[in-house]
Amino acid sequence: MQRFVARSGLLEGGRRRAQSLLRSQQQQQKQTRYFAQAAREKEIANDVLPKMPPFDYSPAPYTGPSVDEILAKRRQFLSPSMFYLYKKPVNIVEGRMQYLFDEGGRRYLDGFGGIATVNCGHCHPDVVDAIVSQVKRIQHPTILYLNHAVADFAEALASKMPGNLKVAFFTNSGTEANELAMMMARLYTGCQDMISVRNSYHGNAAGTMGATGQRSWKMFLDGQQSGIHHVLNPDPYRGPFGSDGEKYAKDVQDIVDFATTGHVAGFISEAIQGVGGIVEAAPGYLPAVYKNVRKAGGLCIADEVQSGFARTGNMWGFEAHGVVPDIVTMAKGIGNGMPLGAVVTTPEIAEVLTRRSYFNTFGGNPVSTAAGLAVLKVIDKDNLRENASTVGAYMKDRLTALKEKYEIIGDVRGRGLMIGVELVSDRQKKTPANAETLHVLDQMKEMGVLIGKGGFYGNVFRITPPLCFTKEDADFLVDVMDYNMSKL
Amino acid sequence: MAFRRQIVRATLQNANGNNFAQLARAGGRCLSSASPSSSAAPADSPPQLPPFDHRPKPYKGPSAEEVLQKRKTYLGPSLFYYYQKPLNIVEGKMQYLFDESGKRYLDAFAGIVTVSAGHCHPEILKAIVEQSELLQHATTIYLHHAIADFAEGLAEKMPGNLKVVYFVNSGSEANELAMMMARLYTGNLEMISLRNAYHGGSSNTIGLTALNTWKYPIPQGEIHHVMNPDPYRGIFGSDAAGYAKDVEDHIAYGTSGRVAGFISETIQGVGGAVELAPGYLKMVYDTVRKAGGVCIADEVQTGFGRTGSHYWGFETQGVIPDIVTMAKGIGNGLPLGAVVTTPEIASVMSQKIQFNTFGGNPVCSAGGLAVLRVLDKEKRQQHCAEVGSHLIGRLGDLKEKYDIIGDVRGRGLMVGIELVTDRKEKTPAKAETAVLFEQLRDLVFTVSESRRTVLTV
Repeated sequence: MQRFVARSGLLEGGRRRAQSLLRSQQQQQKQTRYFAQAAREKEIANDVLPKMPPFDYSPAPYTGPSVDEILAKRRQFLSPSMFYLYKKPVNIVEGRMQYLFDEGGRRYLDGFGGIATVNCGHCHPDVVDAIVSQVKRIQHPTILYLNHAVADFAEALASKMPGNLKVAFFTNSGTEANELAMMMARLYTGCQDMISVRNSYHGNAAGTMGATGQRSWKMFLDGQQSGIHHVLNPDPYRGPFGSDGEKYAKDVQDIVDFATTGHVAGFISEAIQGVGGIVEAAPGYLPAVYKNVRKAGGLCIADEVQSGFARTGNMWGFEAHGVVPDIVTMAKGIGNGMPLGAVVTTPEIAEVLTRRSYFNTFGGNPVSTAAGLAVLKVIDKDNLRENASTVGAYMKDRLTALKEKYEIIGDVRGRGLMIGVELVSDRQKKTPANAETLHVLDQMKEMGVLIGKGGFYGNVFRITPPLCFTKEDADFLVDVMDYNMSKL
Repeated sequence: MAFRRQIVRATLQNANGNNFAQLARAGGRCLSSASPSSSAAPADSPPQLPPFDHRPKPYKGPSAEEVLQKRKTYLGPSLFYYYQKPLNIVEGKMQYLFDESGKRYLDAFAGIVTVSAGHCHPEILKAIVEQSELLQHATTIYLHHAIADFAEGLAEKMPGNLKVVYFVNSGSEANELAMMMARLYTGNLEMISLRNAYHGGSSNTIGLTALNTWKYPIPQGEIHHVMNPDPYRGIFGSDAAGYAKDVEDHIAYGTSGRVAGFISETIQGVGGAVELAPGYLKMVYDTVRKAGGVCIADEVQTGFGRTGSHYWGFETQGVIPDIVTMAKGIGNGLPLGAVVTTPEIASVMSQKIQFNTFGGNPVCSAGGLAVLRVLDKEKRQQHCAEVGSHLIGRLGDLKEKYDIIGDVRGRGLMVGIELVTDRKEKTPAKAETAVLFEQLRDLVFTVSESRRTVLTV
């Protein structure tokens, strides 16, 4: 017994020594980080403006219409509901990788990526090359004739998919992709009832407007969304069950049991709600819901329009949740800004469209698909998954530190380079701080950082930059945010 | 499509191929010839393509077989293609297409009435390439001149008070938006569209579409499909009044008396180049407006001078719609669509956020503006009128010669040739159309076939 105690004492001692070594290492790292941060904070406290990382590129001189001329034409000829960000809108005339340039040649850090769209970087040379060489050959023959571009792209896309997801349909937007996905689910199951999540955004055509779960995006049109049920949002920050995904999943089962025949067409959701304010589904939610929906005969649709194409650090947002959907929809990042969307599904589900004819005139055209293929190659070649993961985690850490500093930051969340910062005037009540959000957004723009905003209450900063974003860029973004918050 | 292939195979094996071959050759000659006097040439020698000074780049990519195999694996069984032996089109220049071996084809289909200015038109290419190298995409949350300039250019082409432009990415998106506008503006739900129409493949537009090939069995909501004012097959021939009464009847007996709107193409494209009976739209627009509805003109195929006589198809009927939708030819192949309407209707849309991520992006807007300029500069509308009337004239001659041609119709460069086995009964000549379609392909000539019996050019 003594020997045992003595030996365990030795082991215990070793463990304690190892732990103390680890602790001191961690303390050292923390000190270094704090030191750098302290230096930056000192600068901010002393009103020293953060500096944008250098970039060796000169934009072309701009000789086009001025801001006022453009604004006048927009007012006269474009939709009256077309809005722009900022009190004084920015006239963006050129882009290069993670930077944008205005008419005066001023450089901005693009922290929004054309709304989570320009994943490779503005005018990435590989993507532009692919577009230009293809457009000079043929822009549009339609898929009634053969052309290798769409076939090569479909093959490459399928290789990025898990399970039996290997048949692609090409559209021109996320809305078109989600419309098609919803129709396929309804056709495949023979049911009409579709379940979507509150606070979601899926598109602006009739079916997808119905699936969208936010009133701001729904026209005053009754009768468009019959058959759609919106379930509790598994929102870790604002939801009643915090991060307990399975509790939210029960709402889906309740809807199936009490609001449908017991059989449904399917369930559609974003892994991280984009328009809804970068709300990632509580852990455990998707596996539980997918199980319930499949038991009810329904298909599971993953809307990857914003979270896809390496943005979250994985290729697809749903990967972090340990599920394999039946249908995946995508757009935005798929073509680095080309009007392109896609639906990827299994051969069995794809078969439903053979019952009649479905045709998309522009879908799968050589130029868009050449761009898409180039994007997939760049994601691998430029290591964008890893970069999104590393720089994203770094930025999130720095923003979390900001949260310690400013009461107004209610939540920092997201994954990879899809990050949200929610501003509240009361941390307990979580009262949205809209005015401050708009103000800081504006001020950040004045200092050269463009980010977005979203969330149902409009109080969430959306940070979804091109995935070539660097740590230095992240530092600049956070420092500028820090600086402007200190002035609030 | 598989069924069609069976018909073709059977016909080629069994039928007396001579007649069809002759017809095909004559058709090919007619459609490829610029000179009106070549009907004197012997019917048995294959016609020659007009000369064209362009060498396609040597093609080193996957073969037709490889591409077909990949398509079957990765693009799904519902994706159909033309011809028994599909064409591998790798390059295009103006009105010609080139396959993998460099063989040239006269493109009489233009990527489904889409390539308005010509494949890889130099000025449009220049605009696209220059803009792609500057900025592809930032969205309208920032300013950019291209979308504003393009909207202005489009509005200038519009009559009446049609001057607010919404940019989308396809005809389906445009028609979806138009339908939403009609319902919002009027506060009514009921929509009216024509039988034999095609308006899109998304949930609402499938409802408007009235051809069962394209309608999946999904609920379509409050949509009424009225009698098609088809001069060739319609029960009232070219007498619009009879057809217009059907709209009145639908409203009076099938709705609350108040409707959201009426949508139609002026020449039905997918439906087989069917031009609406003259005077139809004037009567129907009147009826629909009296019932509180708005009138939508689907110009996805007929727009941009294609009809020759006018810039927009609806102008041929002497009406001014409340909403106009367009796509296809608008960008010479760029994924682009638009909806143009009045400020009154647009203001209702501004009650909620209406946003399209890709819509109006700098590259498509620059391309679209270049298209408008090229069409004006090169006087394409006039060209459509001239070549179109010549074409229709020559096809009319062919109709005198061959009984199987039941009808030649259309306007400008939107022409249809309907084949029937019996001129009185107008029995569709499905097999013959399929065979002719294939044989025209061999004569390096691409057309389309709609509804299995109409060749559209």
